[in-house]
Amino acid sequence: MSIVPKETIEVIAQSIGISNLSSDVAQALSPDVEYRLREIMQEAIKCMRHSKRTVLTADDVDSALNLRNVEPVYGLASADPLRFKRAVGHKDLFYIDDKDVDFKEVIEAPLPKAPLDTTIVVHWLAIEGVQPAIPENAPVEALVPPSENKRSEHNKDDGLPVDIKLPVKHVLSRELQLYFEKITELTVTKYDSDLFKEALRSLAADSGLHPLVPYFSYFIADEVTRSLNNLPVLFALMRVVRSLLQNPHIHIEPYLHQLMPSMITCLVAKRLGNRLADNHWELRDFSANLAASVCRRFGHVYHNLQSRLTKTLLHAFLDPSKAMTQHYGAIQGLAALGPSVVRLLILPNLEPYLQLLEPEMLLEKQKNEMKRKEAWRVYGALLRAAGKCLYDRMKLFPGLLTPPTRPFSRSNGRIATSSLPNKRKLSGSQPIQQPPLKKLAVDGPSGPMPSVPITANTQVGAEGFPSISGDSGLGASSSSGQVSNESTSGGSQRDKGEDRATMMSSALTQAWKEDVDAGHLLASLFELFGEAIFSFTQPVEMSMFL
Amino acid sequence: MEDEEIEKKVLAYLKKKGFLQTELALQEELGRFSSSFHPDVPRPESGALRYHDGYSKLRSWAYSSLDLYKHELLRVLYPVFIHCFMDLVAAGYMQEARTFFHTFREDHDLMHLRDLQKLEGVLSPQHLEEMELARSLRQSKVNIKLCEYSYDLLLQYLQKTQALTMLGIVNEHINFQVSPGQPTSISEDADVVSLMGSSHEIAKQINQKEVHWGLLEDSLEERLEKAHSDSEKVEGENKEVDPDENKKRSTEGGKQGVPVKKLKKDKVVGTLGKNVRSETSTVSMAPRVKAELTLPVMPTEAEQSILEDLRNRVQLSSLALPSVSFYTFVNTHNGLNCSAISHDGSLVAGGFSDSSVKVWDVSKIGQAAKTFNTQGEDEASQNELLLGSDDGKRSYTLFQGHTGPVYSATFCPLGEFLLSSSSDSTIRLWSTKLNSNLVCYKGHNYPVWDVQFSPVGHYFASCSHDRTARVWSMDKIKPLRIMAGHLSDVDCIQWHPNCNYISTGSSDKTVRLWDVQSGECVRIFIGHRGMVLSLAMSPDGRYMASGDEDGTIMVWDLSTGRCVSPLMGHSSCVWTLAFSCEGTVLASGSADNTVKLWDVTASMKPLRIDDNKTGGTINRLRLLKVLPTKSTPVYTLQFSRRNLLFAAGALLKC
Repeated sequence: MSIVPKETIEVIAQSIGISNLSSDVAQALSPDVEYRLREIMQEAIKCMRHSKRTVLTADDVDSALNLRNVEPVYGLASADPLRFKRAVGHKDLFYIDDKDVDFKEVIEAPLPKAPLDTTIVVHWLAIEGVQPAIPENAPVEALVPPSENKRSEHNKDDGLPVDIKLPVKHVLSRELQLYFEKITELTVTKYDSDLFKEALRSLAADSGLHPLVPYFSYFIADEVTRSLNNLPVLFALMRVVRSLLQNPHIHIEPYLHQLMPSMITCLVAKRLGNRLADNHWELRDFSANLAASVCRRFGHVYHNLQSRLTKTLLHAFLDPSKAMTQHYGAIQGLAALGPSVVRLLILPNLEPYLQLLEPEMLLEKQKNEMKRKEAWRVYGALLRAAGKCLYDRMKLFPGLLTPPTRPFSRSNGRIATSSLPNKRKLSGSQPIQQPPLKKLAVDGPSGPMPSVPITANTQVGAEGFPSISGDSGLGASSSSGQVSNESTSGGSQRDKGEDRATMMSSALTQAWKEDVDAGHLLASLFELFGEAIFSFTQPVEMSMFL
Repeated sequence: MEDEEIEKKVLAYLKKKGFLQTELALQEELGRFSSSFHPDVPRPESGALRYHDGYSKLRSWAYSSLDLYKHELLRVLYPVFIHCFMDLVAAGYMQEARTFFHTFREDHDLMHLRDLQKLEGVLSPQHLEEMELARSLRQSKVNIKLCEYSYDLLLQYLQKTQALTMLGIVNEHINFQVSPGQPTSISEDADVVSLMGSSHEIAKQINQKEVHWGLLEDSLEERLEKAHSDSEKVEGENKEVDPDENKKRSTEGGKQGVPVKKLKKDKVVGTLGKNVRSETSTVSMAPRVKAELTLPVMPTEAEQSILEDLRNRVQLSSLALPSVSFYTFVNTHNGLNCSAISHDGSLVAGGFSDSSVKVWDVSKIGQAAKTFNTQGEDEASQNELLLGSDDGKRSYTLFQGHTGPVYSATFCPLGEFLLSSSSDSTIRLWSTKLNSNLVCYKGHNYPVWDVQFSPVGHYFASCSHDRTARVWSMDKIKPLRIMAGHLSDVDCIQWHPNCNYISTGSSDKTVRLWDVQSGECVRIFIGHRGMVLSLAMSPDGRYMASGDEDGTIMVWDLSTGRCVSPLMGHSSCVWTLAFSCEGTVLASGSADNTVKLWDVTASMKPLRIDDNKTGGTINRLRLLKVLPTKSTPVYTLQFSRRNLLFAAGALLKC
């Protein structure tokens, strides 16, 4: 009859130590308990209303108990509404999940932040009945038409920026809708059919697709996140992106912000595809080129586009906790952005990175073959990036072989800073007091060499040529390396130049500086990669070098 | 035995009323009962069953009656239902009462949900005694209007079927007002039935009393008007000014606030004032009455500044809506119970559940002049100021003294005093100049829900969980008047503009108007379906608005005691109401995160004509504008004397 069964009364009686409560008493008490409960709830609701709330809290019940001169129930005060859980197997039985709290934890926990003090913020809710569109106000309902002239007049008067635009109705023709559906379906399901290739071609060339771009960009972003472990689909999506980028009739800039994250995901995601056999490297290469092409094309419009991309990639590259696959993607991405990026961002970090990488590649240290393979992949990517950079340098400055005409002292600092860290180490390891003689500086490289065989070779090369005189230990030692490697042909001329330089202690020419950079680069890269790097130098030079 | 007592009572009643046949029939039947059943045989059950059967038969009969009369007959069911239930409870058949209640409650849930929820808990005779709703139901009779034929039908049915239990209840608890002719229309059902539970008779009687709703003699407004009529004679040429232009200039005047060219402005305002009076002359039309309280004398400077404000008042209408300045309390951690804004909007007070009262000086927050002068101020400066407000030390003055949650706060008209009421059953007076507590008023026995300064200051009124409202003056620590009469908590209170009356809203769903001088109840306004949460008086003193927890706002005519128009629109509790200074716009703030502006004049005008003919048809107030806030329930609304609307609320963390 009453909603409080007499069993409850009996249980409560037991819990407070009355064991011999007769059932008659319980029977008589239960309706009264219900009535009192209702009464207290009624008062609690009043308290709630007067606290100007519409949600009943434990505090309200406490206040109601106070009103009735009853001791409040302690221990239930809480900022959030209590979360009741349903007892398993009982439909109407609920309980509060009361976790055991370790005292030690509570004591040792740092003090929580002090709650912010109450303050008042003032704003105009309305000005002459019109709500200004300021962040403090609730957003104007989208469908309110931008009223009569009167309102705009008011706005002018008050100088308030109320600019309500009618939502533009976006009409998509039936054909376009069909087209879109077809393409998306193809991308997701029949990515290896000829039809898909046709579709890509159409996407790259069709002139009427612009209305679909927002849908495509949304579809791509959505689908990439959804099918991260479906490599073919990801690949297909990237192809769609490429086609869209290629399409000369599409004005894609406004949607880049939506596409870029997808590309970067395909580049540096930890896992792409769920099978071991999946060739996700290829996808990474592909997206790297894609991202780079976007940067090249729109870099001038969005000046921070490339910087943001490189930042993301560099972050992935320099974080040792990231997986090898991610490093690979990052390196590829950076490499795709061009040699200057590689020179600025990868090369300075090359040496410490390789030190980290080395154990991963060795059979005895890394037992997991998968991991080892990955590490080798990364190594390969690094090599390729560095080599490309080198090649580029060499090609850029054929004047390498011509003798320097201007003093170079100014460049010393520059060289030192832009040089690889290991140079510094080298110089540190060397006695600085070396006179401007031929140096044995290049002895050093044998130490940090990852794969050994060519040490002798280096040394030969290095010793075979005069080093630039060191005005300062650092600059000298670093430049010595480069010279030794790079200016094979012009030994004698170089000597002259050097002599002049030492005498004058003056600045290098710009060209010379670059030369120095390149030569220096080769040397250091050689130190790090060994022979492999030579495949990137031009044959002529190679031969001369050797 | 209680059963017997009831029977005796019924018999006595029948005798008194002269229902001879019924009496005989009842006796006969009772005789049959006592003769045919042994005393030990479970008579209680049959007794309980009698109610159940009787009611269910009556119910099915009513539902199958003629369409035309059905709604009238159905009205009878509710009182019969609750009295059957209470009879059963009183007789101690708890279980039967419970089953009875649950079997039939659905029929009445729609109309009487809240009452039923309360009654549901009544399970013993003792509870009936304790609960004010049950007691008042038991003691009073329900008035039900029936047409002649419906009444005949009902009687015939009751007599033919020998449903004596039902007949007894009908006779005991229902007063039939039989009217000849056609049955009433269904639309009137609502207010007829919602009268349940309070003695309609008394209310009617009380509402006969005379209420002098006019404005005070010699008020500042009146003086201003006189001054204007003088100036008008002098500046007669201004009459020719195009009204439109006037209006434009008036808004400009309001915006610019303190004028640079005093001379010119004065002229403008002069014409403006005249112009307005011809349009919305409600204030000046109001009759004048004498104040029954001795009124405090106002300092001359204050008077001057108020006069200045009145002259600069922006005229509002359905076309010219007010500007709303919103004070949002942030980081309240769900602790803000109430807020108050001074008349010039420069001070904002918040009452918190941690017993503290905090007062912010808005001008000090950095809002260079956060009065109406800044109406035209551009936003950039405002935003800066907002940002600057939360650095350094406390931005407010903390008033500590209460020992329980603070439920209400109010500023005196000139802003130098603040009153706060708390669950510790005290009211405290604070000085905003000295930043300290001045007086603690003890008198209520339970939490004080609301406190309001009178429009002239000095006097204030409070209301409490102890079901009383009290009138105080600042210089005495004991109340001057105690108004008792509400059947449940008095939840809100408001002064009449002429200070001779106060109105109170209560959890018993009524609003009452009290004469301050005599302490008598002079009006009872019945019609709300829930607890009344907010009240506002129109500046001309003729109308009153009240808002309840369901979101309904009702506007009452004080002289007739009738509801002029119910306003539907809010979906949750109406926390606050405010009339604009000339009474043309009503603003309401609600827990549904909106401020709504209602057109008062439009809804009153047709009514005045109707009044003479039909006696008041219900017409809805026109909703002018909905201003949604950003998840901020609106706690307080306050029109400044220049008709700028201030609003305050606490931002909800979602």
